[in-house]
Amino acid sequence: MQVLFKIIRQTKNSPHQVQTYLLETEPGNTILDCLNRIKWEQDGSLAFRKNCRNTICGSCAMRINGRSALACKENVGSEVERLQIQKNAGSQLDPIPEIIVAPMGNMPVIKDLVVDMSSFWNNLEAVEPYVSTDARQVPEREFLQTPEERSQLNQTGNCIMCGACYSECNAREVNPDFVGPHALAKAYRMVADSRDTDAERLEKYNQDTAGVWGCTRCLYCNSVCPMDVAPLDQITKIKQEILADKNVPDSRPIRHRKVLVELVKQGGWIDERAFALQVTSDYFRDLKGLLSIVPLGLRMLTKGKFPLSFEHSEGTIEVRSLIESVQQQRGQGSGVRGQGLE
Amino acid sequence: MLSQTLKYAYFPGCVAQGACRELYQSTQALTQALGIELIELKKAACCGSGTFKEDSQLLEDTVNARNIALAEELNLPLLTHCSTCQGVIGHVDERLKECQKQDPAYLEQVNGLLKKDGCLPYRGSTEIQHLLYALVKDYGLEEIQQRVTHKLSGLKCAAFYGCYLLRAQKYMPYDDPYNPQAMENLFQAVGATPIYYRGRTQCCGWPLASYATKQSFKMAGMHIQDALDSGADCMVTPCPLCHLNLDSRQPEVEKVIERKLGLPVLHLPQLIALALGVNPKQLGLDRHIVSTRPVLKKLGL
Repeated sequence: MQVLFKIIRQTKNSPHQVQTYLLETEPGNTILDCLNRIKWEQDGSLAFRKNCRNTICGSCAMRINGRSALACKENVGSEVERLQIQKNAGSQLDPIPEIIVAPMGNMPVIKDLVVDMSSFWNNLEAVEPYVSTDARQVPEREFLQTPEERSQLNQTGNCIMCGACYSECNAREVNPDFVGPHALAKAYRMVADSRDTDAERLEKYNQDTAGVWGCTRCLYCNSVCPMDVAPLDQITKIKQEILADKNVPDSRPIRHRKVLVELVKQGGWIDERAFALQVTSDYFRDLKGLLSIVPLGLRMLTKGKFPLSFEHSEGTIEVRSLIESVQQQRGQGSGVRGQGLE
Repeated sequence: MLSQTLKYAYFPGCVAQGACRELYQSTQALTQALGIELIELKKAACCGSGTFKEDSQLLEDTVNARNIALAEELNLPLLTHCSTCQGVIGHVDERLKECQKQDPAYLEQVNGLLKKDGCLPYRGSTEIQHLLYALVKDYGLEEIQQRVTHKLSGLKCAAFYGCYLLRAQKYMPYDDPYNPQAMENLFQAVGATPIYYRGRTQCCGWPLASYATKQSFKMAGMHIQDALDSGADCMVTPCPLCHLNLDSRQPEVEKVIERKLGLPVLHLPQLIALALGVNPKQLGLDRHIVSTRPVLKKLGL
């Protein structure tokens, strides 16, 4: 099957250009096989990272037809299948299938498909991805972990640090302080580790928008991860730990969560007026926060957009009691840290 | 003609009953014009917009299992008109259907809670469908095309899909989540011209808007600019939360990115209803923060 590879090529600090290579392929050929053949048979100057060719090392992440993926995992057949779905949905496509290969996002290009991953590694370091020092002082006997405790580390342990999630992360794109999904998935691995004794871990991940509250829940990380680490799910679990800890002081992101659940208990649906007021103004304690939403309120009033009334759901009583039952059940078996202490 | 009337259990969601009532109104107007029957789930509750799960997975699953069971009681598919509601409820449905086979004990826990509080148990007997896909898959583009009385010729529309519609559910039989076509196909069916730009599959920034306003508005601004620079007359979104950040907050967005924008943002049913000849007033187009007048003017309405 003939495939046209369109590769986005670039040298440092200069605009990119598109170079095309026509290749005779089999559906089972991986994108990495194809890139190797282009390099060996057509153009030795093409630069890309590669190593194990077996979805273990995480070197060959790049953008393939619009999303970050491992070149050694995706193949011509599955890419052509995706194009077919797009065609069925009405896309105008050329007769020869095109595979567009571009460097990862959120990191500067060094050459062609090779990006500078310094920020990726620095951000990983920032979450202190090591089981805490206390625990590493070698005791008289080994650290014992039950199979259940060990199984908490399986999913996050599968991460191969390829950078696909970081490349697509929408929050990282607008916020250089945000450590990113790879780092926070690793952070949860530490939170969940029964041997870790760093009591300040959650506090660190609770900081501003560098930690978990910087995530915008765009779901790209879950969607592109080649190892099903589901970084957003791990970020969510860290948030669960923070929200369950009654000693953590209320911040605006935390109020956002707590107020939402409270308002659903009160009305079934959310009364957005109460939501905006309680989250931003902290029940009128934060005047600056209150003032920040006044223009929005006035703007909505003048346009007739401001909701003047609120109608409860007819199922409010049922829902309230349901939420309370869930909260009770949850109170009995709290988060992983709580379980670890028992 | 369609062989039978399409009927759905309609989940209105919070925003369409609050800050975006024009969405509620226009969904009513559109479905009436198309002869789609909606039975509103008056006893339903907020899906949690991804936040219930941050309290606990059990909370998200239980509240939404109840929502789904309300539709199951009517033997109807559950219809959403919000990308976020769709992604959250759709994903819960996917998870619980998997649990029926792989983790029946968990499902029993969920149903135990439901029964205890007098709610019907989750059965896994229905589907969760967003209005967008109800239109393109169930109703059909050709059927819609036949009912167009005011072709939206020359109107350049930039779709803004919303994260949860594209990436929250595992299975997306109609579209490629990285290069979806449903919105663009609908635009063409009503005579409008789709604009392709990177932002159409990205995040609007709403989840950050209550506390990280700068980052949130930067995100929205980037995509609005991108759409404008690609020649869009308006954005069209199937998600009222995106609408809040893209339309209601656009004046603040302009300040953060230091550029005048003024791009009207339409709800999906507003756009389609216009093509079916529904009066703009009935669609609440006068209740947007960014004036929709340029769009109406271009269409000669």
